[in-house]
Order: sequence, then structure tokens, then C-alpha cells
Amino acid sequence: MPRETAPISGHLLVVDDNKVNRLLLGRSLEQQGHRVAFAENGRQALEVLRAQPFDLVLLDIQMPELDGFQVLEQLCHDLHLRDIPVIMTSALEELDSVARCIEMGAEDYLTKPVNAILLRARINASLEKKRLRDQQRELVRKFATAEVAEDLQASGFSLGGKFVEATAMFSDIRSFTTIAESQSPADTIDLLNDYYTLMFEAIAGHGGVVNQMVGDGLMAIFGAPLPLQNRCERSVLAALEMMEMIELFGCEQEAQSKPRIRIGIGIASGEVIAGYTGTLRRATYTCVGDTVNLAARLEAHTKVVGEPILIDETTQQGLSSGIETVPQGPVQLKGKTDEVRVFSVPVGQKVRR
Amino acid sequence: MNTEPIINPDTFGALRSMVGDEFLSELIDTFCTETPPIIGDLQRALAEGDADTFRRAAHSIKSSSANFGAVPFSALARELEILGREHNLAQVGDKVARLVADYGQLERALRELQHAS
Repeated sequence: MPRETAPISGHLLVVDDNKVNRLLLGRSLEQQGHRVAFAENGRQALEVLRAQPFDLVLLDIQMPELDGFQVLEQLCHDLHLRDIPVIMTSALEELDSVARCIEMGAEDYLTKPVNAILLRARINASLEKKRLRDQQRELVRKFATAEVAEDLQASGFSLGGKFVEATAMFSDIRSFTTIAESQSPADTIDLLNDYYTLMFEAIAGHGGVVNQMVGDGLMAIFGAPLPLQNRCERSVLAALEMMEMIELFGCEQEAQSKPRIRIGIGIASGEVIAGYTGTLRRATYTCVGDTVNLAARLEAHTKVVGEPILIDETTQQGLSSGIETVPQGPVQLKGKTDEVRVFSVPVGQKVRR
Repeated sequence: MNTEPIINPDTFGALRSMVGDEFLSELIDTFCTETPPIIGDLQRALAEGDADTFRRAAHSIKSSSANFGAVPFSALARELEILGREHNLAQVGDKVARLVADYGQLERALRELQHAS
């Protein structure tokens, strides 16, 4: 428990229509090391909250303009404000109202006149909880993508999927095992990190989301969890940029007498099943289904045809005329009963826009 | 029957030790500046039959006076708040008059305590 640590100081907003109450609460909070701002009514409170960041709000229930209920309601519908903890300040006989506020999302309550010791305890507990939540969010941000983090914030966490139209991409390093055997483990991890950094930039730059990294391979989705216009074209442009990056990276590696890497990319478009898979303890946002399998097969097939980028027909049809593709004929892919029409995308082409 | 002091010394003492003399004096000034206009709102709301404003004004008076330990005054304001909530303004005239009179007493008591520090 945080009892041993120094009290956390925060930026707090006191909302109360009575000036005596405001001053008194403000004084107590400042004595406890917090920075305090004030609002006289609900409308003013929302204005201040939208203008600058706060760690916590102490909210009166009965106020002119917007009352405490209305403020809470607006806060919980605001993606940017709904995580600020709110402590209701109320008279003892208003406990019915307080219960309603807590159901609406208020974190705790204090009865007026406010007792300084309780005030300290509740504020510190709330700030500590907020700190942990912020930390969690930071972790989600780091280990998930911005899109997934946003989706999680908007819809909350629920395991369960839905059908989405999307474009799936697989990319893999050729002969990675040989490379790994030829150099030190530290060099291999460095190499992977450089490779991932470059691929992430190229993919994210075109609106894609890398949702899996396994060893030397990665999977990216264009069009989920958030819809994306021109996802076929964007995915192919991302693939072309990835190849360019790998080429530049190869020159850099060679200059340091390190091995060049080559990659293969497979892209397919269509319906995917998207959702969080895993358990309630550990889950990941992912896409599965025929389209995803096809993209993986196409990536594997790049080795067979010696073309680094292969795409399926649906993706090819989604491209503007500015991108050149070469039919590779119908191909029998593993796990597919019917033959699939496959197209390669020549690398190094000048895309006409 | 009414032996309760205008200001409860324990509550007032606790407030003083919590915020310090200087701030307490400021707080008393604020209360004495802010409360008469709110009592004005209360009287106007009564005259206009505006129960919502009446209730809110009574609520505000109840809540700020309670900080100083003005127990009977705060309780009277609470009675008014409840009557306002019930939209029962027909017979509150006497109580409002009592609140106005009690406010005078309360202000004098607060000023004495303010200067006694």
C-alpha cells in the first residue's frame, strides 16, 4: 500500500457554488500539498476541465447552471475526461444523491463540513488509484497500438469478436536462422529492433496497425480495429516502402560488414474476424480467418516465385491504376481447395499518384 | 429548551487549528460578505414562489454555516431547504424571518470570535 510513500500531490479542481466552502476546501488541499483551482458551478467546471489537465475533481451536487449530476453525466461521456476521479462533496443527508453519483461513476464522497483527515485519506487513495490506472494505460499504449488502446478506451475490454472488412499483411525475414547463427545474440536483437522500427514506421505511416510480432515475422492489419479508406492501396504502398527501407538498411548493414536482410510480404483482403483473444488476464487484439491465412500463405509463396511482394486478387482490384502489378497466374496454395489468382508487385517502381 | 450555543466551540476550535487564525479571519469575512446576498435570494425566491432557487439558497446557507459549527442556524437553514424541496413555501415566512434574525446574532458571534484571536 502507498502508506510508506510520500503523499502524492496533484492538480485538483474544487467545484462548489458557495465561496466559503470553496475557500475552506482549497485551503485544506493546499495544506496537503496540492495545487487547487476553483469553479463556481457545473458549466464553469466543464470549461476549466476541458482547458487544462486535472488529477481529481471535488464536486458539489447542488449548484446553479449545471448541477453535480449533469457534470458527472457529461464527464462520463467525454473520452478525455471520464477517467478523472471525482469525489462528491455533500451534506450528510444527501446520501441518496451520493449513491446515485457513485452509480454514475463518481469515485467516492465526503460529507461537508469536510474533515481534514478523511479528506487527506480519500484524496490520496483516489490519486493513487489514478496513478495506477495511468500506469496501466501507459503499458497498454506501449504494448498495444494506439488504435487498439483507443478501441479499448471507447468500448472497454471485452473478449469477443466481430466481422470486419480488412486487409491483412504478413512479413518475414528470409533465412533469418542463418543470419542469427552467424552473429552474436546482441547483434541479432539489435538487428530485429532496427527491422521492427523501420517496418512499424512504414506500416503506421500508411494507416496500418502491427498487431503481432513473432520472432522475425510480423502481422499487420489495415482497416481494423478502426475502418480505413483505400486500405488495399495503402497496404501495398506500405509494402513498397518496407522494401525500400530494407534496401537502405541493407546498405547500412553492409557498410558495417553486417549481413543484409531480405523480406517477403504477403497481402490479402476480405472479411476477417477481429477481436481480443486470450484470457481475461492476458489478451491481444488480433484478426483471424481465411483472409489472414491467405496473406500468410502468400508470404510463404514469395520464396517459391522469387518475388518479394505478393497480393491476392481482391487487394489487386482495390488498387488505383498508379500501381503496377504482374499476374503470377492461378496458384494452388497450401490449405486452399481452389486455385488463387496471385499478383506480384514489382519493387522499386515509381508509383503514379 | 434551546441551550445549544450559537457556535459550537469544539467545531470552531477544530476549524481554527486546521486553517490558522489568519485564514479563519478571512473565511469569516467571506461568510459575512457572501451570506446576506444569499439570504436576499432566499427572500426573493419566497416572494416569487420559486421553490428551486429557495431550496438552493437554503442549502448553500446550511452548508457554509456548518463549517463554523453554527449548529442551530445551519439546522434552521436545513429545515428551509427541506420545505423548498417539498415545494412547501406556504408557511415558511416565519422561519425565514427567524433565519434573518438569527443571522444577525451569528454574524455578531463570529465577529467576536474573530477579534478574540
